Amino acid sequence: MAVFFALGGVTVWFSLEPMWMSIVANMVARFGRWAAWINLMPVILAPLAVWGMLRLMDYLRRRWLWRESGMVKPLRWVVSPQVNMLSAVILLGGVALSLGLRQWGWSDDAFVLRMLWAATGWGFGYTLMGVGQHVGISRYVWLGAVGGSVSTLVLFLPLTFGQTALVFGLSWSLMLMVSGTIALRRGLMSAQGNR
Amino acid sequence: MSDEIKDITTFDRLIHEPARLAIMAVLSACENADFAYLLNATGLSKGNLSAHLSKLEEGGYVAVTKGFKGKYPNTTCALTATGRKAFSAYRKQYLALAQHLEK
Repeated sequence: MAVFFALGGVTVWFSLEPMWMSIVANMVARFGRWAAWINLMPVILAPLAVWGMLRLMDYLRRRWLWRESGMVKPLRWVVSPQVNMLSAVILLGGVALSLGLRQWGWSDDAFVLRMLWAATGWGFGYTLMGVGQHVGISRYVWLGAVGGSVSTLVLFLPLTFGQTALVFGLSWSLMLMVSGTIALRRGLMSAQGNR
Repeated sequence: MSDEIKDITTFDRLIHEPARLAIMAVLSACENADFAYLLNATGLSKGNLSAHLSKLEEGGYVAVTKGFKGKYPNTTCALTATGRKAFSAYRKQYLALAQHLEK
């Protein structure tokens, strides 16, 4: 998930940032039209990297964690439909609020675009809190609350859509990585304790 | 006498036994788990776990799949739809009783 957020942020930034677009345009002028495909590389590489990361996670679990603690496959749908539904409502509500504010002249187009990321963070944060409460892991509740708050910050930064995507993606990636590292460390310590 | 107290006798006995309750509780929280995981999670001995899994399998609550992980035999257990439904009903009944006893 951390890799997904990081690569997602970088991909959107790379694809939409005028700086990169002008570099690609220059390359097209110099090397021909095939150079334009470079702009699409992150779109191809991002899913590949996420797939690779999932394979690596599976390997690490099988190789170290599950060898000691046994294998467990988590439930596909951890949160209730109500939590998923409310998460979508939060996302759409945020976007609707920004559109309303723009309509009344209290915000501009850039604010609406930044709200797309902020509301995504609120919705995802709420889902994580729901997961945490359901499975009784307070780390997820904290992660959801902190992630939701950090997502609010991007609303007020004077950034373009692409830059906001980068900040949003890397922030979430960092938070998820910290959370994952804590879980991995506890898992390894527990596996060592069982030996 | 309240209904909750009377209902104690209707508790699902296949689930109510502590070792089987532990197995059902672990399996209800995941898609499936292997024998080693259940051993760690429940703290039962191999023989005990195996015997209780057999009873739950006979009752149609647990599906046991035997296979191989590399060269080693691997047993995977999962709740069946019937088992999940039965555990959900048991949980509701148990919570109602617990709430009644807290009053």
